Amino acid sequence: MSARVSRRHFLTSTAVVAGSLALDRAPSFAQKRELTFLSWNHFVPAADDELRKQAEAFGKQAGATVRVDTIAHLQLPAKRAAEAQSQSGHDLLLTGGADPYLFENQLADVGDLVDELGKKQGGWYPFAAESCQTKSGWKAVPWFWISFPATYNMAHFKKAGLEYPKTWAELLSHGKILKKQGNPVGIALSHCADANTTYWSVAWCHGAKVLEADGKTPALVSDKTAQVIEWYKELYRDAMEPEVLSWDDASNNRGILSGKLSWIHNPISPYNAALKEKMPIADDINHHPSPAGPAGTHSAPPINMVSIWKFSKNIPLAKDFLKFLFQKENYDAWIVASNAFNHPPLRHLADHPIWARNPKFAMLPKEAEYAHPRGWPAKPNDAVARVEVNYILPDMVAKAVNGMPTKRAMEWGQEQTALAVKGQLKASG
Amino acid sequence: MAIGSRALEVAGARGLGRWARAREWWEQEHVFGYGLILPAFVLIACLVAYPFGMAIYFSLSDYWVGSPGSFVGIGNFREILGNEVFRQTVWNSFVFTAIALTAKAVLGVWLALLLARNLKGKRLLRGAVLLPWVIPTALSTLGWWWMFDSLYSVVNWTAIRLGLMTPPGPNWLGMSTYAMAAVITVNVWRGLPFFAITVLAGLVSIPREFYEAAEVDGASAFARFRYVTLPLLKPVLAVVILFSTIFTFNDFNIVYVLTRGGPVNTTHLFATLAYQVGLQGGNLGQGAAISLFMLPMLGLVVFFQLRYIRRE
Repeated sequence: MSARVSRRHFLTSTAVVAGSLALDRAPSFAQKRELTFLSWNHFVPAADDELRKQAEAFGKQAGATVRVDTIAHLQLPAKRAAEAQSQSGHDLLLTGGADPYLFENQLADVGDLVDELGKKQGGWYPFAAESCQTKSGWKAVPWFWISFPATYNMAHFKKAGLEYPKTWAELLSHGKILKKQGNPVGIALSHCADANTTYWSVAWCHGAKVLEADGKTPALVSDKTAQVIEWYKELYRDAMEPEVLSWDDASNNRGILSGKLSWIHNPISPYNAALKEKMPIADDINHHPSPAGPAGTHSAPPINMVSIWKFSKNIPLAKDFLKFLFQKENYDAWIVASNAFNHPPLRHLADHPIWARNPKFAMLPKEAEYAHPRGWPAKPNDAVARVEVNYILPDMVAKAVNGMPTKRAMEWGQEQTALAVKGQLKASG
Repeated sequence: MAIGSRALEVAGARGLGRWARAREWWEQEHVFGYGLILPAFVLIACLVAYPFGMAIYFSLSDYWVGSPGSFVGIGNFREILGNEVFRQTVWNSFVFTAIALTAKAVLGVWLALLLARNLKGKRLLRGAVLLPWVIPTALSTLGWWWMFDSLYSVVNWTAIRLGLMTPPGPNWLGMSTYAMAAVITVNVWRGLPFFAITVLAGLVSIPREFYEAAEVDGASAFARFRYVTLPLLKPVLAVVILFSTIFTFNDFNIVYVLTRGGPVNTTHLFATLAYQVGLQGGNLGQGAAISLFMLPMLGLVVFFQLRYIRRE
């Protein structure tokens, strides 16, 4: 076999391939841009279907292909870290909590978009917006928040001759009666997201905090925190069952749907599940606003946002896509698909009839008025994120209910918080 | 081949094509041999050696997700050692590995002895034994998680119905001792087939004559096991224990699905804590330090066990 022949053969065949690419493939590539979005598997799957439908509609309009990839929410951190590390992957991504701070250097500034949407739709709720604005600019657009009311079984309360609890102290006194009746209340004290959320709420209502406003001085050791821990201890002993130490985010849902628990602190998902599965218990389940404490009512609803990677080659297109999602008719359709689970961070979008129509939902949007981002009075930052992912707060309480003296548990929490602060990410490093 | 081409040259065949020359080069023993190893080498270099090197580098720097850090020496290791949660994790890992490994070794040999017998449906049985090992861990652990559920635990339900437990029964994943027992149980359940099947292979290779000779000498069943089976199984056992030590120390799925390290960090292992600190908390440097902490110790275990195996 002659080398010249094979080389010529190679050259011609390559030329053919290259030619065909140049002639018909390449132009179509240039026309059809691809936009990709990494999100989670929504707790209400219909919301994802609606999102995909809107993505397709936007794609048609913008002459692009829009791909929405959804993965389990527990896998998101690893996937995000991998994309940041390899500087490749999706264009848009779901962020939450303190992510904009954690990935501050990796995310594109979206200040212009936040500004425009805010002006158009009556302004952002401060608690949602605060989580997105870092020292170096807006690193995310608030997308939706999840109301965190109390869910209770009206039949259990009626049987005990009780009204729903207006304060945490009332929850304790009611809970003692309800537990004797065989219907304990439930707040997770374990490694799960709900355990964090409720702790913030209870602590703030008692005037306790975790960090000072400067965001780096641990402020856990205080009389207020001691009160909170004592309250938890009593609630655990007299109104709950030890199972709360093993809970995940779905355990309390199952507990109330099984007809055993009388009260939980949770988003509206159990009620929605009962409706969807046509469970008779749906009639007994109702919601009431998160209880108050000596220092007022405060709540820490989970906030979800969308960010754009700095390495994305489609930043303007990604912003257009977000604008499209926030158009009133689109956003409204998405609220409906989620059956009132997704709450808009923009004031004008918040008066959707879905909440007013159902008395069991009516008080949900009001939570925005007393909500704060985690870490408050400190601004959200990566130290707060570490306090959360290491479950320092529920662990502190769990230690105390298992017999550790309150003071020691509090000092343990303080020490762990100090470590979380110590490993603080240097701003723009 | 070298001889072939020389023969051609001798015969005056000139203008040997490039193709043939390349082929000749390729077919030399040292080139061909290395060529065959190359794909595996590239795979290991890219997928094992590179990440491993990166992990070591991360552990010595204050590297954050997506933002390069600077060299900090053993600062990360000092810091994690100062953390009570990490020290708890070290303790957990040793308890977990020691108990799980012992249980797997004892039960594994026992199961292998049972499987070695001539039973009806032997093949089916041997296949079935492998199931826990074959099913993806994350999936099978979900089944276990449901069995240990605080509300719907089938374990508690059954035991209460049988009168073995007083209701509501143990709070499996909420009390530290029970939670540790639960993760160990699942680890043993999952790792047992690996032990049993490998030991079985070792058993089958023991010549029958040894047993016959022992029987002639009047050795009891226990003596046959003690003086024939066990000594001849030693090399196989050593290898299995070596592998299993590493697997068990590095377990992630079981703990992550069952307890996420709870209650109050009493079931955290190196891998789960590293995931929490490094990926969820963004502190890659410390996360890498946590996961590499065991490396020197595991290295020693491997060194001594391999030496032992070679001596045998």
